[in-house]
Amino acid sequence: MRDRFPLLWLALHRRRRMLTALVLGMAVFELLIVVIAGTVPHGRMFGGDGGGRTPPSAFKAFSGSTGSVSIGSYPGLVGAGLTHPFWIALQVTAIASLSAAAVAADVESGTIELVVVRPVSRARLLAERTAAPVLAALALNAVATLTVAAGVALSPDMHHDVPLRGVFIAGLLGWALTLCLLGPALAVSAAARRRAHVLGAAIALGAVGFALNFVALAWSKAGPLRYASPFHYYTPGDILAHPTVPWGSLSVLCGVGVAGIAAAFAVLLRRDLAP
Amino acid sequence: MHDPGPAIEIRSLTKRYGRTTGVEDIDISVGTGEVFGFLGPNGAGKTTTIRCLVGLLRPTSGSVRLLGHDPVDGHRQVAPRLGYVPGELRFYPELTGARTLGLLAALQGAPSPRRAELCERLGLTAADLARTVGEYSRGMKQKLGLVQALQHDPELVVLDEPTEGLDPLVQETFYELLAEAAAAGRTVLLSSHVLPEVQRTCGRVAIVRQGRLVTVQSVAELRRARARRVRLAFADGQGERPLPGADRWPPRWTGNRAELLVPPDEVVDALRGLLALPVADLTVEEAGLDEAFLDLYRSPVEKT
Repeated sequence: MRDRFPLLWLALHRRRRMLTALVLGMAVFELLIVVIAGTVPHGRMFGGDGGGRTPPSAFKAFSGSTGSVSIGSYPGLVGAGLTHPFWIALQVTAIASLSAAAVAADVESGTIELVVVRPVSRARLLAERTAAPVLAALALNAVATLTVAAGVALSPDMHHDVPLRGVFIAGLLGWALTLCLLGPALAVSAAARRRAHVLGAAIALGAVGFALNFVALAWSKAGPLRYASPFHYYTPGDILAHPTVPWGSLSVLCGVGVAGIAAAFAVLLRRDLAP
Repeated sequence: MHDPGPAIEIRSLTKRYGRTTGVEDIDISVGTGEVFGFLGPNGAGKTTTIRCLVGLLRPTSGSVRLLGHDPVDGHRQVAPRLGYVPGELRFYPELTGARTLGLLAALQGAPSPRRAELCERLGLTAADLARTVGEYSRGMKQKLGLVQALQHDPELVVLDEPTEGLDPLVQETFYELLAEAAAAGRTVLLSSHVLPEVQRTCGRVAIVRQGRLVTVQSVAELRRARARRVRLAFADGQGERPLPGADRWPPRWTGNRAELLVPPDEVVDALRGLLALPVADLTVEEAGLDEAFLDLYRSPVEKT
């Protein structure tokens, strides 16, 4: 890969330790989630199935549901592991770091001068640099999905409520969410001269997006705002309970991501590239 | 025989950053096989011009052609034939020297027939190349910069202040490499603020100041046109005084002695005025090339 895709190799090589830590962190976290969820007996979930008071609807933001899935259920608990702030933090860290490295970090450090005077088109530069966070996000979501799938498969109670097909569809949607955050972050990187701008934009997209969805679920008057949050379209809790591919949400998440990447190409082809 | 045309052609180049003007109305033509100097003080616009030249910056107006192509639109044609040392040389600090050269060669997409020879001549040992670039001194980074620019034996080399941080022995090797490049018919653009370096290596030189071209001359012409240093000693002990006929060239006073630089074609007129004063001693000699260079910096910007 080093000779064929040197810029992709460079992006992954420079952040290999961070990416390894993120992947391990994701595996351990999801393992903890399924182990802890598996320790709750099927009939005693938060006051019993249908018996006790259900959690406030805003808590559905933490289980990845916009429908009927409560956090007090196996799909809700496992979904919480796929929408937890720790999960978001791991994903955003990978996206922000690799998006910043795509263009802005090279411009800031001055290394861009040695790269773009080679027979490397700007489009190829961005394509290889886009592939790095896409692959990192794929790895993070794959390890989360496989860990959850293994945990669910090994727990008969959970497996009864959470079909494996739902786990894999949730993983696909997770990857689409990261793509949705990645596109705008790359567009900022293609335009910016400072990596801090990209880091700030990626973190803001993740944190503000989640907060917006939470507020929209908690306060009915703010309800329409949820459509502006990527987390409204990312509903692993619902998918774990009802395993069908949400084509609409998937299209929105992928569409935003692809639009951001397209904007990044358009910006990079026109801008000056000097420190 | 087919005339290859100029290797570098800059026409009315202007680059603005918002309200700031980087360079304005620069015209330079460098022939194929020429070693051309690009001189100016820091902030004169040399690096901006070079960045437009290699396609990092897009001109606000005017045009740049490298080996017959626009450096941005014709990037695929130009880049394989170009070697470049940036003025602010930055590498990835966590890569070793060897890996850095390998990476840049992979991006170049061409063999690196001169890498071993260049490393040896510039004193980059295998042990040096095994260390990460973050551990390199400035001089070692500069050596690495020269190797990466020349390892694929490009036909056009653009060097932005390449000897910064090099010790005198390595500078000598660098001058040898330039001489060999010239002998092999390579085109070299050498940006510098060190005049003797340009004097030694280049046939012609462009001087820029405050973003504008001051002059393009051969080094020989520059030598001929250099100012004369006039030294005067007065016998009356009165110290500083007006110097009729030579007031345009501010003198440097040391007690009863004055020293001033006068353009060669105005020396005779200046002396007529000065000799009316109580002069005890007077000498006129050619100023050093450095002084001629400074004189051009001081004089009003005027294209020739």
